[in-house]
Amino acid sequence: MKPETVSHRLAQLRKSGLGLRERSASDIARVLAEVVDRWSSPESVWRQRLVSELTPLAGFNAGLMERGLEVGLSHWSGPALQDLVHRELANSQKTMVSGFQITAVLLAGSIPMPSLIGLVAPLLLRSPVLAKSAARDPVTPRLVAESIAEVDEQLGDCIDVVDFPGSDEACVRALLAADCVVASGSDDTVARVAELLHPYQRFVGYGHRTSVAVISEAATRGAALETTAAALSLDVCLWDQLGCLSPVAVFVVGSDADAKTRLAQALASALARAEERWPRGDVDGSTAATISHERSEAEMRSAAGRSVELWASTTTAWTVIAEEDPSLRPNPLHRFIRIHSVDDMSQLLSALEPLGPHLAAVALEGFDLNSDEWTTAVAKLGASRICPVGRMQAPPLNWHHDNRGVLTPLARFMDLELHTGKLS
Amino acid sequence: MKSNDTIHGDPARQALDEAIVAWMAEEEWRDEEERFNELALRLFAHQFEHCDPYQRFCLRRGATPNRVETWRDIPPVPTGAFKEIALRSFASERTVQTFRTSGTSTERRGELHLDTLRLYEASLVPSFRRFVLPDLEAGRRAPNLRFLASSPMEAPDSSLSYMFGHLCERLAGSGSGFDVIGGELHADALIDRMAEASDSVTLCGTAFAFVHLCDALSARNTSLQLPEGSRAMETGGFKGQGRNVSRDDLHTALENRLGIPIERIVNQYGMTELGSQFHDSSLRDRERPRRKLGPPWTRVLIVDPDTGRPSPPGQPGYIVIFDLANTSSVLAIQTADLGRGIENGFEIIGRDPEAEARGCSIAADELLSDNAR
Repeated sequence: MKPETVSHRLAQLRKSGLGLRERSASDIARVLAEVVDRWSSPESVWRQRLVSELTPLAGFNAGLMERGLEVGLSHWSGPALQDLVHRELANSQKTMVSGFQITAVLLAGSIPMPSLIGLVAPLLLRSPVLAKSAARDPVTPRLVAESIAEVDEQLGDCIDVVDFPGSDEACVRALLAADCVVASGSDDTVARVAELLHPYQRFVGYGHRTSVAVISEAATRGAALETTAAALSLDVCLWDQLGCLSPVAVFVVGSDADAKTRLAQALASALARAEERWPRGDVDGSTAATISHERSEAEMRSAAGRSVELWASTTTAWTVIAEEDPSLRPNPLHRFIRIHSVDDMSQLLSALEPLGPHLAAVALEGFDLNSDEWTTAVAKLGASRICPVGRMQAPPLNWHHDNRGVLTPLARFMDLELHTGKLS
Repeated sequence: MKSNDTIHGDPARQALDEAIVAWMAEEEWRDEEERFNELALRLFAHQFEHCDPYQRFCLRRGATPNRVETWRDIPPVPTGAFKEIALRSFASERTVQTFRTSGTSTERRGELHLDTLRLYEASLVPSFRRFVLPDLEAGRRAPNLRFLASSPMEAPDSSLSYMFGHLCERLAGSGSGFDVIGGELHADALIDRMAEASDSVTLCGTAFAFVHLCDALSARNTSLQLPEGSRAMETGGFKGQGRNVSRDDLHTALENRLGIPIERIVNQYGMTELGSQFHDSSLRDRERPRRKLGPPWTRVLIVDPDTGRPSPPGQPGYIVIFDLANTSSVLAIQTADLGRGIENGFEIIGRDPEAEARGCSIAADELLSDNAR
């Protein structure tokens, strides 16, 4: 693709935006609510097409992708979208809200839900969208655009998708002529895009994040153990642990020295069962080498008398390591999980400190969430979401990703001060 | 030191060291499989007996000196274990040197403890001569051997600095020396020196130091044409440097900025945990593909991570190194590097920089190193 083509597409969308802004915001929201309903329906043909077309490119098992979409879209619906609009944009009479003339969205990764909401959000503000698809997922943005056009042809003209490598600087620069730019990717990628923009352009960056699960001892006893392990297994397996809402570590809180091992064993069994049902997808050679290395390293520490235990598949498909201390350790992902034990909350907070601003979600299980104690502590860490285990991959549509609104970062607000009183 | 000195207080170990050093001293390199196997099995038995954590590690894998029949079956220790465990095959009070892996102050650093430097020194000189200075006549010293690294005085726990210090002592002729002083590359002085050189120049250093040198040349808007016969040997990666340059780009930049043809630029693959090093074949064998070659007292296996068995020829896998120079620690090392066998050597396969992530999670090691910066 040539940079001129990108510029031409931008110009076309700018023209389409004129008609879009003639329509009422509520009309647009109604259309997009219908689109979301069509995606969230279990019989959705769009989902079926997505699975069949994306599976060979994204490297996920087809069954796993179906389950991931089922879980991920379980809370998404037309009414939820309308509620999001109401919560974030319900303007008072003294504030006007609008979108930018055009929004460029640079997508990353091959997990479909962020792409879906990422493309719908600017349209809700009546801002046309030019999306650059991710290298591993040229399918989702195209299908989202088609599904919008199916419901409303004019709105369909306000979204377009371009494909070019992220290393094509000329095309990237052409795309970044948009008034508002949304970019997802590694922190380095996001920073690189930000450097290419003018100060007057709106920039919304989403860097990579990570999540953890925190389990009370009570959730590792009796019947609760299997339930907890099954739920954690789902959180780890979906999207092969590559999502920012996938846990990279589990912390068991309490003084029961056996709780960690119990949970690790049960989780290992659950992951083994999951592997039979939804085999893990592709891993590159370097990742497989790292998984093997980390396993051997755990074995060696165990041989040296450290309290470390390893459960693993014969291939690199899944790995569970019960760690000797709370310190975070390297995690190559792809269904590789470490379980730590901590005595109390203060030890947990210290252990999570290195995650700093990269923490997305904390799954809590077996705690009294009506008490402010845990929520206050997790908020201090900077997490943007607390949820039960088994629900980590099912964020609501209005999840404050990166502690921000979904729509407000893309909006322009204008306050009206119509009083006539004079300053004395 | 006289060969009959019992430095380890252990005649069996002494005999092993002698046999290995004797092999390293041979002028002609012969790839003797039986000799390697016999020495590797003896060394494994010694290390199994004297390094407790390693013994327990081997027992878990069902590997004992009685059961292990070939060097291929000796259990390799992952390099990461050196960050956690003191893997000594000798009594700790006999430690004469501890080398540490590079890293930031908050990162755990791997440690290699040695009770003798004799094997390390005996291994490195013939490899360097063979792969970096194959045209240096016996008894001659290389002029203008410049080291883009700290001297051993400045970095006493760096195995790289130790290696360069020993090479300087053994092989360096006039105009040689270290160009990283006080942790800084003195690029301007080096550039001036190179511009005036009338004899060939041999540059050795970390890849990142070479990037700094190219930056300095670029800042001066200068390109040099070093005298014929000049060459470069670079080693190491860019982890923790906040900047990444592909090896191909680095070699091209060195060719453009210094006038050193790419075939005269050699990458050395080595690590603190190893007593021997591997080098690109480019200066020794220009006809066949560039590949890493090592001395005959080493072996390399490319292992399929999913089966734990050797990868089929030409297929990728993680690199396991068996190094008889590692008499003080353990001889079999599992790296986290991906490689592929090529003819009688191997190549390192880096991560594809164009490969876009499939997800939006940041791996915990990236996070931890981010915070360590």
